[in-house]
Amino acid sequence: MAIKFGGEFEIKRTPEEVYGFLTDPQKFAPLLPEFQGMTQQDATHFTVKVKVGVSYIKGAADMKMELTQADPPKRAQYKGQGSVSGGNVAITAGFDLLPAGDGTKVAWQGEAQVFGSLASVAGGLLEPLGKKNVQKLIDGLRAALA
Amino acid sequence: MSSEADKKNWVGKSFPRKEENRLLRGRGKFADDIKLREMLYLRFVRSPYAHAKIVSVDTSAAEALSGVVCVLTGAEIAQQTQPFIEIGPDPFAKIKDYPLAVSKVRYQGEPVAAVVAESPALADDAAELLQIEYDALDPVVDAEEALEDKSLLHEEAGTNRVWNGVFEYGDVERAFKEAAYVVDIDRLHFHRFSSTPLENNVVIGQWNPKDDRIYYQCNNSFPSFAIQFLAAHLSVHIDRIRVETSDIGGSFGIKITSYPQMAICALASKKAEGRPVKWVETRSEHITSSAHGNERTFRDTRVALDKNGVITAITSRHIDDCGAYPRYEPLGCVIWSQVFPGVYRFKNARIDFTQAVTNKCPVGPNRGYSRMQHLWFLERVIDICAHKLGFAADEMRLRNYILPEEFPYTTPNGCVYDSGNYPKMLQVAKGLIGWDEWKKKQTAARKEGRLIGIGIGTTLDSGTNNFGQSQIVNPYLPYSGNSQGANCKLDIYGEVVVAVGSCPQGQGHETTAAQVVADVLNIHPDLITVRTGFDTERNVHTGFSGTYASQFAVSGLSAVHGAAQKLKAEMKRLAAFTLGTKEDDLEFGTGAQGPEIQAKSTGKSINYWGLANLVNANSAGLTPELYEVTLNCRYVWRAPFKVPDTKRKYGSLTLTYASQLHVAVVEVERDTFIPRILDYVAVDDCGTVINPPIVEGQVYGATAHGIGAALMENCVYDAVGNMLTSTFSDYIPITAMNMPNVKYGHIETPSPHSYSGAKGMGEGGAAPIHTISAALQDALFASDIIIEDSFNNADSLFRALKSKETGTLVRVEKRI
Repeated sequence: MAIKFGGEFEIKRTPEEVYGFLTDPQKFAPLLPEFQGMTQQDATHFTVKVKVGVSYIKGAADMKMELTQADPPKRAQYKGQGSVSGGNVAITAGFDLLPAGDGTKVAWQGEAQVFGSLASVAGGLLEPLGKKNVQKLIDGLRAALA
Repeated sequence: MSSEADKKNWVGKSFPRKEENRLLRGRGKFADDIKLREMLYLRFVRSPYAHAKIVSVDTSAAEALSGVVCVLTGAEIAQQTQPFIEIGPDPFAKIKDYPLAVSKVRYQGEPVAAVVAESPALADDAAELLQIEYDALDPVVDAEEALEDKSLLHEEAGTNRVWNGVFEYGDVERAFKEAAYVVDIDRLHFHRFSSTPLENNVVIGQWNPKDDRIYYQCNNSFPSFAIQFLAAHLSVHIDRIRVETSDIGGSFGIKITSYPQMAICALASKKAEGRPVKWVETRSEHITSSAHGNERTFRDTRVALDKNGVITAITSRHIDDCGAYPRYEPLGCVIWSQVFPGVYRFKNARIDFTQAVTNKCPVGPNRGYSRMQHLWFLERVIDICAHKLGFAADEMRLRNYILPEEFPYTTPNGCVYDSGNYPKMLQVAKGLIGWDEWKKKQTAARKEGRLIGIGIGTTLDSGTNNFGQSQIVNPYLPYSGNSQGANCKLDIYGEVVVAVGSCPQGQGHETTAAQVVADVLNIHPDLITVRTGFDTERNVHTGFSGTYASQFAVSGLSAVHGAAQKLKAEMKRLAAFTLGTKEDDLEFGTGAQGPEIQAKSTGKSINYWGLANLVNANSAGLTPELYEVTLNCRYVWRAPFKVPDTKRKYGSLTLTYASQLHVAVVEVERDTFIPRILDYVAVDDCGTVINPPIVEGQVYGATAHGIGAALMENCVYDAVGNMLTSTFSDYIPITAMNMPNVKYGHIETPSPHSYSGAKGMGEGGAAPIHTISAALQDALFASDIIIEDSFNNADSLFRALKSKETGTLVRVEKRI
């Protein structure tokens, strides 16, 4: 089950500043919805613990994240994979940065792929829930860069 | 005493089921009722991915949990066992099928590891502690796409194509050349569904170190097949495996393929030093991972017809989706041909049949296995041609049905239909539903804009397989014919005890076997104890014993009848000696001291206890020629089959052909697109009826199943192989609340191929699928809709009505 999302916003920060924020796991990871903690393996790999609650499936998931594209200050992309009771989740999230006046236009896009019984048990809930959480992430990002 | 002159035939009588008292009072013994000392509980850890490499399996956290006895992984199992036998020929004979995934997973829900613990809850908790890392691969969930071999499921086979064969008979080219009409149908699709037995799979396995034997108590419905797979897989002599079944809460075929779970329970017991291990399947496990019915796509169908709408030839490509592992397949690639022409007379046909693996749950025999897909296809062909050419659906059938006077009827592929009268069934069904009245109501309703359709579905239930047909898919298979064993004895105190090798799941074997023996011995069926349920130790089973494929009424009861006749002959011999008379002077009946045999000339009699005592406890007076009398008679009934011609794919594949004809009136609500059944009739012909209420009950049950399959049950997978219908919220079983008031009728055309005239009384479960498809098409044809799929609900009908794409599926060439 694939959930696709995307959008754009403008922020009064330079592309370099935005890029620097996005590619710093210590800054970026806490913005993830239901963030509970993280461990960083190296500059591009980190594991985030997030709380999961969909239907009766509740628990914590360890999401292994990797910064797979780093093109300063134009583009950053993360890929992640994690498992929870009832399924696995694979996510891709990319950010394209373009100068816009004295700020930056951030075009973001991504896809979450859900595997396992999670997809069937909570299938109808996942898309709205996913979109809600992505919106939280983007709102958090905008707030942090404001 | 009551004598043979007073004899009433118990066969054919509405005798209450002997099982009912036990089962309805909750006194049945089901596998999950069994609790053994030191029993452990097993939980499978299943793959969330449809297709992925297994990178690592870390069992340490689970093994460290208190109360966890052991954890099994695929890598470990592969070291200890042989891959399961493959039924198909190369290249699929090369694949390695183990009960736990070894290096990759091939469907969502595939078992990857098994956790064994002191309690079910502990096993559940421990299962969540396993850390399994996967590397996702491209899944393939569509059989036609699978045939492109872009993503291989079994690399060792080198292809996803399990089997291909062309079934061609008659002069197809000539028939098309001479046709008045040619109808082309691009695509039809028979959907994937399973069954929802009240009781899921249950296995208790014990590999006892004291005698190095494996003991199973389970609800597998074809144990003699399972033990052949298990013995080879576990490298043990088949005689070292004991399987017992007791009451079974439904199977519908899909419990045939529980042998992988049986293997794991035995291996887990071995690892747990011989403690018994129980596995009870959850409902979601059952829906996602036990077995599904075969999904089939029919491509490029061409139909030749004469000017009267009589079909003269059919060609088509059939693509069958068997899921991730062939298991019982590719038997389905030939089993459909038991009903090659359906109930129709056409002689020329070419069917190119292919089977593919996909990243979905493996299939298993399910509700009219493999034949219902083909019969649905033929009924679709009939209705599409009728609508497109302007023939009435009933008239179209009457012009094409095999006629009563043509029986026994040899089909183009050499099957012999024993008996039947399809026009009469149609007449009975039309009478019961009030055909002419409904036609008038339909005309009036259409003027009001209502979408009402009337559909007919005719189907066959072929029973008692010739296992020689397996050689059509693989000439090296050592199976042919069919047999069933039974034992009938007088116990030491004269009790008549019958043992059969079947595994009844509600079919009333206890009752019908007693009725047969009661007729032979002229006693009341209540005086007969029938031991149903399979037990290898009873020594009554053959290699085909089990309950499947609509055969007990013929094979099982023929074996019971044979054993009872043998017992009767021995009893006569002994009684003649004891009473000092000739055997033809003897009469069987019931006297003051129970069942007895009386000498008509003298009035002297001996009761069953006396007879049994002579053999078992008071034998000193017997003459040596009577020493061979044991009053313990095993009989193996064998079906009179020959091995089919494997090159021509020709021969008698099944012994009896029961038939069902259903008629439904269905309305599609204009606002909601919900299809509602307004009226329903089911007419059945299973030859001589042994017990009318049992047959009627099976017809109602099968009709419910078929209506559920047509309108409610659908195994839906997304593009990456997630099964989206894994609970009863989404995979919706039919209940009494969804059932129309079914009007039941029957006719009897006795089979010349069985001793009693009975035919296999099976599901007939396909008939509602055909019938509802036909009724929906009748309702929507004026809206340019062709019903191309066997599953239709409000959502699919809404989409069909909005897109109207199905109207382009069919083209008609008129040459007159």
